[in-house]
Amino acid sequence: MPPLPVNTDAGMRILFVIVASLAITWPWLLTAAEQSTTAGSATPQAEASPSDIDGGQMFATTCGFCHQDGGRAAGRGPKLSKSERSDEFIIERIRKGKTGAMPGFGEVFSDGQIMAILAYIRGLDD
Amino acid sequence: MAFHARYLGGCAAVALAAILTTSPTQAQDAAALNAEAAQNDWATHHGTYKSYHYSGLDQINAGNVKNLEVAWMHFPERSTRGLQSTPLALDGVLYYSGSYSHVYALDGATGKTIWSYTPELDEELVAKQTHSPYNRGIALGQGNLYVGTVDGRLIALNLKTGKPVFDLKLLDSKKVTVGFTGAPLVVKDMVIIGAQGGEWPGRGPIFGVDAKTGQKKWEFFTVAGTEEAMATWGNDSWRTGGGGGWMPGAYDPETNSVWWGTANPAPLYDWSGPDWKKSGARPGDNLYTTSVIALDPDTGKLKFYHQELPHDAWDFDSAVGEFVMINRGDKKLVVHANKSGFVFVYDRSNAKIENVWPLVKNINFVKSIDPKTGELIGRRDLVAGKADSPLCPAIAGGISWNSGAYSPKTQLYYKIGQEWCMDLTVEKTNPILEPMAQLNIGAQFKLVAPPDGPARGHLDARDPVTGVKKWEVNYKAPPLASVLATAGNLVFVPDAEGVVHAYNAESGQELWSRNNGTGHNAGIISYMAGGKQYIAVPAGWGSLVADEFVALYGEPYKSMTKNTGALIVFALR
Repeated sequence: MPPLPVNTDAGMRILFVIVASLAITWPWLLTAAEQSTTAGSATPQAEASPSDIDGGQMFATTCGFCHQDGGRAAGRGPKLSKSERSDEFIIERIRKGKTGAMPGFGEVFSDGQIMAILAYIRGLDD
Repeated sequence: MAFHARYLGGCAAVALAAILTTSPTQAQDAAALNAEAAQNDWATHHGTYKSYHYSGLDQINAGNVKNLEVAWMHFPERSTRGLQSTPLALDGVLYYSGSYSHVYALDGATGKTIWSYTPELDEELVAKQTHSPYNRGIALGQGNLYVGTVDGRLIALNLKTGKPVFDLKLLDSKKVTVGFTGAPLVVKDMVIIGAQGGEWPGRGPIFGVDAKTGQKKWEFFTVAGTEEAMATWGNDSWRTGGGGGWMPGAYDPETNSVWWGTANPAPLYDWSGPDWKKSGARPGDNLYTTSVIALDPDTGKLKFYHQELPHDAWDFDSAVGEFVMINRGDKKLVVHANKSGFVFVYDRSNAKIENVWPLVKNINFVKSIDPKTGELIGRRDLVAGKADSPLCPAIAGGISWNSGAYSPKTQLYYKIGQEWCMDLTVEKTNPILEPMAQLNIGAQFKLVAPPDGPARGHLDARDPVTGVKKWEVNYKAPPLASVLATAGNLVFVPDAEGVVHAYNAESGQELWSRNNGTGHNAGIISYMAGGKQYIAVPAGWGSLVADEFVALYGEPYKSMTKNTGALIVFALR
C-alpha cells in the first residue's frame, strides 16, 4: 500500500475523510460486530456492516441520476470530481439538499454512508 | 315475454328518469369530453378523451395569427422547478396548477383571480424528494377540481369557490418517497390518478376514487398487479419493482376502458445481459411495467394490456405518450408514443398491435420492433461495466412526457422527437427501502450527441398510423412543452428557449412567434371566453430534463432564470 500523500490538498482531504469516517462509524462498527456474532444472516441489510459501505455503489444507486458520469461530468447536477468545495460544504449539501435542485439525505443516509459518498467523490479522477 | 315487456318498460322508465334528472350541462359535458375536438372548453388534460390536443376553434387562424398578442398574464407564487402544468378551461374560467399544487381559477377573458388554493404540504418530506415539487395538471368533474400532491394526497376543491371538498391521503409518501405530480382523469363518477415511480423501488399504484365522496374505490398495482404479472418477477423482485403511472391516460367509452401508460421497472439499468429472463436484478418480463394497460374505471380490474418493452432495461417508460383515438376505415385505433422513440398503434378493442414506427432517428437499444407483432428485435441487453458504445436514445428519451397533437382536419400527428444518446456504465446496486425509498438507477451515465449530428429536437408532422412524414421543423434543443393543433390550420409549439411558434398545419411554415422570456415545459391549450378565442401557455423553466440543457447546450440555458414562471394568454388584437 503506497503512503498517503498527506503533503497535498487531495491527500489531506482523503486523510480527513478516513479519520472522520472512523470517528463517526466506530461506535457503529463495534455494535455491528457485536450483532454479527448473534444475529446470523437474517437479511441482507442485517449482514451489512459499515466496512461494506460502498460509496461508489451508493452513488450509482441514487446520486448518479443527476451527477453524471459518476460525478465526473455536469448534467442535471454539477460536476463533483476535483470540486473546490470543502468537505464540510459537501457533507452539509448531501444532508440538507437544495430546494428545487437536490433532495436532502440527512435523515435517509447514515453519517457513515454520507462519509462513504464523500470519500467516493474525493477519489474521483476526471 | 311478459318478463321482457316488463323489463323493457322498466328500462324505458329508467331512461326517461335519467333524461329528466340529467342536467343539460352534464349531458353536454359527456358529449364534449368524447368529441374529437375541444371547442369552447378544454375540460380534460388531453383536450378530450380522444386525446388530440386539438381545438376546434378557428377565430385564430393561419390568415390572422400574425395579429396574436398577449391578452393577459398571471404570476403564480413559488414556481420551484418552473411551471409544468397543462391548464384547463370551462365556461370561460381558466384553471391551472403550479408548483406545490397551488391552484388558480381565473377569469378566462381578463385574468382576474376568482379564487386560489394553497395546500399545506409536508415541506420536510418535499425537501427529501427528487422529483418535486412541480405539478403537471388538474382534472374537472362533479362540480369539483382535482389535484394531486407530492406528499401523496388527492385534493378535491369546489369549482366555484375553491373550498376543499375532500383531502384524501392515498400514498404513504414518507415511506415510498413518491407522490403525485401528474394530472388526474375524471371518468364518470370516478377520479383516477397514478403515482410517480419507475426509479423508486415501489409498486406504482393507480387509484380510483369516488369523485363525489373522496372514498378510495380501487387500487391497481402496476407492478405484479395480478398473479400472471407476479410470475414475471424473479427472486421476489416485484417488491421493489418500480412501475407507476405518472401521467394521465384516456378513456374509451365504447369499451368502457381507461387506457393508462406505466413507468419503467427499477433499477433502471439491469446487468443481466441477454439472460434477463433468469438473472439480473429483476429476472423476467416485469409486468405491467413499460406497458399500456386498459382498466375498467368502475372496478380497477385489468381488461387487457400490451407490454411495449418486456423487461425494460433502458428506462423507456410507457408513462409518457397520449392515447390518440382515431378511426381508419372500419378500424378503431389508438396511437401511443413510447419514451424509446417508437410509436405504437393498437386495435382499440384489445391492444393488439396494428403497427409500430420510429419517430426518431437515433435508436440502438433494439435493432427494430416488429410492426406486426411488437416483438423487440435485436435487443441490446447490457451487462455490468462500461457499454462499448453510447446507448440511444438517452435516459431523457426519444420522446418525453409532453404531448403531441393530432388534427382531424389534416389527419396529421404533430409530435416532438429528441435526438441524443448517452455513455453508460452499468453498476450492480441494491434497492434502498429504509428509512424511506431511494432512487435505484444502476448506472453511471452522461448525455452525448448522437452519431448523426448534434443533440437536438424536431417537430414531425406524420400520418399517425403509418408514420409517413409530411414535414419537419428542427430545433437546436428539443422543445419540452406540449403541442397544440387547431381548426385554424395552426400548430403551436412552445420551445425550450422561451419562444412560442405558430406553424401552418399543412406545410410547417412558421407564421408567428413570440418570446415569453423563459423556457417552456408545460401544456398549451385554447378556449373561448366571452365569445373570443384565447391561447394559454405556462412559461417557466426547470424540469429534470430541462436541467440537462446547461451541460448540453450552454446558453441561453446557463443564464435562464429558474424557479419562476408565468401563465401567458394570447388573443387577437
